[in-house]
Amino acid sequence: MAETQPLRGPFRVPSAADRPPKQVVRLNVNGHAREVAVRPSDVLLDTLRDDLGLTGTTRGCDMGTCGCCTVHVDGRPVLSCLTLTLLAEGAEIRTIEDVAPAGTDLHPVQRAFAQHGGSQCGFCTPGFIMTSVALLARRPDPSDEEIRREISGNMCRCTGYNKIVESVRVAAAELRGEEVASVASPGDLDVPRGAYDKPAGAYRSNGHGGGKSR
Amino acid sequence: MTSRDSRSPHGVGQRVPLIDGPSKVTGTAVYTDDIRLPGTLVGKILRSPHAHAKIVSIDTSAAESMPGVRAVVTGSRDLRTFGVLPISKDEVALAVDKVIYVGDCVAGVAADDEETALAACEAIRVEYEPLPIVGKADDALKECPPEQKLHPDTRHPSNLQKQVDQNFGDVDAAFAGADHVAKGNFRFIGVTHAFTEPHCVIAHFEPTGRLTVWSATQVPHYLHRDLAAVMDLPMHRIRVIRPMVGGAFGGKSDPFPHEMITALLSRRTGRPVKIRFDREEVFLTNHGRHPTKTSIGVACDGDGKLLGLDLDALIDGGAWGSFGVVTTYYNGVLSVGPYRFDNFRYRGRRVYTNKPPCGAMRGHGAVNSRFAFEVLIDELAEKCGVDAAEFRLRNLLPSNTTTLNGFRITSNGTEECIRRVVEASDWKNKRGKLPYGRGIGIACGFYISGSALRINWNKVPQSTAHLKIDMDGGVTVHCMAAEIGQGSDTMLAQCVAEVLGLPIEWIRVFSRDSDLDPIDLGSYSSRVTFMAGNAARRAAEVIRGKLCAAAARLTGYDAEGFDTRDGHVVWLPNPAIRVPYLDALLEAIAGKGALIAKGCYHDAPPMGGSHKGAAAGLSPTYSFQSYVTETEVDPETGFVKPVKVWAAHDCGKALNPLAVEMQIEGCLHMGLGQALMESFGYNRATVGNPSFLDYKIPGPLEMPDVEVHIVESDDPEGPFGAKEAGEGPLLPILPSLANAVRDAVGITMYELPMTPDRVLKEIEKKERASAVREASEAANPKETVR
Amino acid sequence: MILAPFTLHRPESLAEALSLAAKLPDGGYDWIGGGTDLLQNYKNRLNAKDHVIALDRVPEMRGISAERIGAGERLAVISESAVVRERWPGLAEAITHVASPLIRNSGTLGGNLLVETRCYYFNQTPFWRGTKGSCMKAESDECLVVPQKEICYAAYSGDLAPILGVLSATLELASPAGTREVRIDEFYAGDGIRKNVKRADEIIVGVKVPAEASTLRAGYRKLRHRDALDYPEMGCAAALRLDPSGRIELLRAATTAVDVVPHFLDFSELMRGQEPDTAFAEVAAAMEERAQPKKNTSMPVGYRKKMVRVYLGRLLDDLRAGRTEGRIPAA
Ligand SMILES: Cc1cc2nc3c(=O)[nH]c(=O)nc-3n(C[C@H](O)[C@H](O)[C@H](O)COP(=O)(O)OP(=O)(O)OC[C@H]3O[C@@H](n4cnc5c(N)ncnc54)[C@H](O)[C@@H]3O)c2cc1C
Ligand code: SF4
Ligand code: FES
Ligand code: FES
Repeated sequence: MAETQPLRGPFRVPSAADRPPKQVVRLNVNGHAREVAVRPSDVLLDTLRDDLGLTGTTRGCDMGTCGCCTVHVDGRPVLSCLTLTLLAEGAEIRTIEDVAPAGTDLHPVQRAFAQHGGSQCGFCTPGFIMTSVALLARRPDPSDEEIRREISGNMCRCTGYNKIVESVRVAAAELRGEEVASVASPGDLDVPRGAYDKPAGAYRSNGHGGGKSR
Repeated sequence: MTSRDSRSPHGVGQRVPLIDGPSKVTGTAVYTDDIRLPGTLVGKILRSPHAHAKIVSIDTSAAESMPGVRAVVTGSRDLRTFGVLPISKDEVALAVDKVIYVGDCVAGVAADDEETALAACEAIRVEYEPLPIVGKADDALKECPPEQKLHPDTRHPSNLQKQVDQNFGDVDAAFAGADHVAKGNFRFIGVTHAFTEPHCVIAHFEPTGRLTVWSATQVPHYLHRDLAAVMDLPMHRIRVIRPMVGGAFGGKSDPFPHEMITALLSRRTGRPVKIRFDREEVFLTNHGRHPTKTSIGVACDGDGKLLGLDLDALIDGGAWGSFGVVTTYYNGVLSVGPYRFDNFRYRGRRVYTNKPPCGAMRGHGAVNSRFAFEVLIDELAEKCGVDAAEFRLRNLLPSNTTTLNGFRITSNGTEECIRRVVEASDWKNKRGKLPYGRGIGIACGFYISGSALRINWNKVPQSTAHLKIDMDGGVTVHCMAAEIGQGSDTMLAQCVAEVLGLPIEWIRVFSRDSDLDPIDLGSYSSRVTFMAGNAARRAAEVIRGKLCAAAARLTGYDAEGFDTRDGHVVWLPNPAIRVPYLDALLEAIAGKGALIAKGCYHDAPPMGGSHKGAAAGLSPTYSFQSYVTETEVDPETGFVKPVKVWAAHDCGKALNPLAVEMQIEGCLHMGLGQALMESFGYNRATVGNPSFLDYKIPGPLEMPDVEVHIVESDDPEGPFGAKEAGEGPLLPILPSLANAVRDAVGITMYELPMTPDRVLKEIEKKERASAVREASEAANPKETVR
Repeated sequence: MILAPFTLHRPESLAEALSLAAKLPDGGYDWIGGGTDLLQNYKNRLNAKDHVIALDRVPEMRGISAERIGAGERLAVISESAVVRERWPGLAEAITHVASPLIRNSGTLGGNLLVETRCYYFNQTPFWRGTKGSCMKAESDECLVVPQKEICYAAYSGDLAPILGVLSATLELASPAGTREVRIDEFYAGDGIRKNVKRADEIIVGVKVPAEASTLRAGYRKLRHRDALDYPEMGCAAALRLDPSGRIELLRAATTAVDVVPHFLDFSELMRGQEPDTAFAEVAAAMEERAQPKKNTSMPVGYRKKMVRVYLGRLLDDLRAGRTEGRIPAA
């Protein structure tokens, strides 16, 4: 018996022409007004990544289960894969790209994740950071249990979560103004800024020239 | 000497955060799907809805004439087959004549946008003629006519792909003479990697005639080779780039059909084409851990000395070979440590079935047999009245020995691992002494640190690193070792920083572009730290020689007396004589140009026996671990809730203790998933639960407290003494938990995952049995006396 | 994933929403609250409509007071609200069982009560359904769980109906034809396809909670693999009040995810004056007996059924002892 695919069911994907037209919407993203043309069925994740080039927000499942796509809408972390773009009109949208303060500084939460093993492959990391930043804005001193509950909509396959919890804990302390130890020894070399064209020392005339030769 | 022993503030033994951390926490890290090339077309794959069917015809005309559709490709005999192992190149880019699993790739479409590509896939008419489905491993063993074989060219008259028979000593005699024997039939359902980044690939056939492929892969070199085969191009016409990879765990360690399809579509259109998987497609592609039936017997004498192991594994491989031949060996041979015994028999069989292919997954091949072995060891220990930890200690392989099948063991820290976790967990006061519903268990592990022999029989070194330093002083490290989140870039940077005595900020690692970065075979079999680490270290040592020579020229002291540390080239006999790094560098470059060096890791020294398959499982060194796990078991609901794990792992030397902890904790989480809830289910050969909602990965609330104990046995051949930490630490968590469950409620779990319903069933069975026993004892008091 | 296409409307008032509904063809549109349930199904192309009417700007659906919760309020907001925590702590804690914190920031109360029934054969992608021939809740005309063409056995899997039911909450429904109120424990009826008595053009505007509710001890317990994300495999709620002598005065119980509709039973009359221990055992057994899970979720049917008794029994004991699950951190 020969069968033709699909077996059954009207799974027709409408071609682009059959779809409702795009409409221009004004979004407030990371403090700036952005105009984009979107379809009513577009979700915020696609708009951010494809239309606004904000690829820091990642797509792990597209179905609400991994939290990779977490962004803030009016200060609350939500899943951009389950948010219609048109319904985000009028709200303040904030993505991972806007978490760090100006320049190359990192937000304490970002720094803690980077330093305390809260990020391995990094694909889940923007989502965790958005969730954690929002949590700490609300609850400056959460217990470990509370941190675990709050991040339980974000999935990480690399870290096993414990170092994420630790990262959030460390960030919380820093945000509360407590002294936080750095993991890495800072120690960089003391070298002049700019180009360095000539040795600083004149070694042979330095008193220890002419050492033993072999 | 400074207060630390390393020459650099970020050298060996220092806690160094991953060097790509800042890009990851800011969202600026570029994964494949983040790359937007001008003119990129969207690729989609039409997949088979049948598990096994003849393709009678494919009509692509409607799809091809749709506006916005740029190319449609289908399978053809002219395309070469491929596969990661030279012995099983059984994969096709696109189905030819038949499909062999639900999800098999039937056609590829490139279109202007995603909707059009999807609509075009639906417009392709495929006529199938269903064939009988080989769904179960047992069925696959039955003899069948060639047309019912998934791969008709294989040697066996059934769907058996590979059979391994190994026999050392005399197992039957050992068991006959043993005081105690424990036996069990274990069943393991498949599990999958479930990395967060779905597969993604971009291919661009450029007008120059060169093909560039960006892919989320952990084996860029194998991809490079197989692209050359399938695209029928010399390798130099192909460039493979590995962007950031969002987790892999073995699931991105095969060259894949979708990579070939994307390249074919780009060749057709002359445009860049991108294929990004939906999560469901990731599940359909699988290559996860094999569903396995493991029958096992273990014997010991009255003093608890292990006498023999009798092991049989029937491994469900799914539709393709993948790493399966290796898996078949590993299910047996990776059980020869960390215990010594003189009799070992193994039969391993891997079969083809009409299911998505299985392949390599973290702990490849070792996990299921390890579970069965360690669970039965507890049973033996109980039978001879020896404490489970003590039983293990009595049977350990020493360091610097050879196993019964010829594996060369060098550094071995198992004993210390056991002693550390026993002590830290307060084992002696807990084992057998916790209240009903709470228990504690122990288990060990043993894993390879790279494969001593390479997959392809050529003489290309397993890993090569290039170093370049120009007058800016920054050190550029090139090496194709694939950073997939495990931190290999950081490891390479640390090895170089250590040798050159520089802070890590001065090191930059390029590990992604086959045009620029020399070959490393890839991130699998826990080989990268050992092999690429050695390569990078050797390259840096060459550079160090040049810097020392320059310092000697500058100062007039002998070059041999110099060493690099803390940003200087220091004359060791009198450390006051030192040349700042940049000064030495300028002198070294003067008149000669940038410093360049290479180092490689070629091969382990000759080793191994001469029996058939002796090479499988040979590794330049092995990692060892021992875990103690404490758990709660709710006897009324069957829920198992591990509360604390003491995890000791011998990684030779922790180049970066932070990174070692990160690997151990990640392993542990993944192992707990398989132990407690993950199962790659099927509904008549269709993946039953292809989503993160239905494929249950433990969340943060399911993770126990973990206390990591790093044991350093200082490997003689590892870079600075190091060996692997990325896979072995997965092994002991499953059996240590099962053994803890046994301690808590007295049941043995022969099947994973230990879902609450299964655990409850076992508890009830046990209660019924003891009720019957009590009843019969009451009825017949003599019985009790006896 | 590309969603099934639709036209989106975003009315600013209840009247506007209802007049939109009146203009659109019957069954030609869906309401959307937070979208966390609906959009999963639109992504999977399950029963998508041409029009979607958003309720997020309807002021009448807002507000949390001592008598009423607006159906458009987000779950996180409800569970954090001081009024709710004080008056109905069991509800606040039950909400923490729904989906995940991220989803609760979007998901609404109305949406939760109307969460689509779930089934292994239904909650799948079009490709997957294509391999199985689909079922009558989607594209075909036959059930794949219990082969027949009449009844859909998809499980009602909302977490909040049970707890609101035992608190005797009432739904305020509004349609172009007018408004009405329906008790939650009388709201669910039918099967996995005809799930409740709500007409397509009706909106849940708010949920009214009677004053008595704040005098009850009430709580919810949930069976699932993981603490977060997983829909219930079984969920049970109970409300309890003991008389001064420690005997039963009021006892209501409810379950979810063990049938096509949630089950509600008021045992007060039957059990009044009884010793809690015996009463609890009987109530737990009675609810277990009513449960009729089908083989279309992750855990085995027998186990889910059996767990009704265990979970409900424990919940009742906890209520008597005044124990919570401690899922809500102290302020
Ligand atoms: C990964 C994941 C896990 C989940 N786990 C759970 C879980 O454990 N427990 C659980 O209960 N739910 C779960 N959900 C489902 C869902 O997120 C929640 O139930 C949520 O509360 C739904 O609210 P919503 O506003 O987002 O609903 P929507 O998606 O907006 O709507 C759901 C349905 O209700 C209708 N509707 C919404 N509001 C109204 C109204 N006021 N009047 C009339 N009709 C209305 C819609 O038309 C739609 O049919 C999960 C969802 C996801 C994605
Ligand atoms: S119960 Fe039957 S009809 Fe209902 S969704 Fe499941 S398979 Fe379909
Ligand atoms: S992509 Fe949104 S939750 Fe996974
Ligand atoms: S760091 Fe890889 S998934 Fe979290």
